[in-house]
Amino acid sequence: MAERDPGPSAQQPRSTRSGPGVVLVALYGLLALAATGRSVLQISEYFDRAPLAYVLSALAAVIYIVATVALARGDRTSRRVALLAISVELAGVLVVGLASYLVPQAFPDKTVWSHFGSGYGYVPLVLPVLGLLWLRRTGRPSVAP
Amino acid sequence: MLYPLTVVVFVAALLLMVLSGWYAARSRLVDDRLLLVGAVVEVGLLVQLVVALVHLGDVTGGGSEQATFAAYAITLPFVLPAAVFLALKEKTRWAMGVVAVGAFGIAVMTARLQQIWNLGG
Repeated sequence: MAERDPGPSAQQPRSTRSGPGVVLVALYGLLALAATGRSVLQISEYFDRAPLAYVLSALAAVIYIVATVALARGDRTSRRVALLAISVELAGVLVVGLASYLVPQAFPDKTVWSHFGSGYGYVPLVLPVLGLLWLRRTGRPSVAP
Repeated sequence: MLYPLTVVVFVAALLLMVLSGWYAARSRLVDDRLLLVGAVVEVGLLVQLVVALVHLGDVTGGGSEQATFAAYAITLPFVLPAAVFLALKEKTRWAMGVVAVGAFGIAVMTARLQQIWNLGG
């Protein structure tokens, strides 16, 4: 767990929370916080207004929480979980982002992912790409045991 | 709410963000100066929490706005400790990056808190 020395010459897979990864964990944590706050409020207060958008908000919140925890743990199982969560996240932000432009009437209220995350400085669009690159980079030396 | 307090917290959080970002860029680790700014932010957030809860009833817009307001006020003091906890084991410049991210979050959430408050005028 406590493997240190994130040197560039490390031969075994690096922990996903070492070096730049720890900033990634922090960013995911922040986004998880923002998405959770928004989604709890939306669902508890005015779910009927836009059920689809709010369910997606909740889904996004859960995925961000899972990704945060998985990246922070950084062991072998967590890597798979993180890979899955971040892939879903990337697909989500792309699909919902596109849909929010094509069928705006389906999204009367915003979600974290609508308009490709423009309400959040496009962080939701950039973060999964960084996450996938990071997983790829830290896992390169030995993927299978 | 206490507008001067919000300004102090907001400015201190921005300062913390810039300072830790600069430390990260220069590969420096935490020192007394950064610690002091962090302490100012944290104390300010704790005072803000008390003030916010005392004046919770004054938040207009019904239960949902009040709930959001309280949730923000309660969550805020936890952000910096969480960032420090994450950064603790990391003895590189990236530890400062985590603090910068946390400080950014605090600034945004503080602004949002004030925004909700201002709805009531």
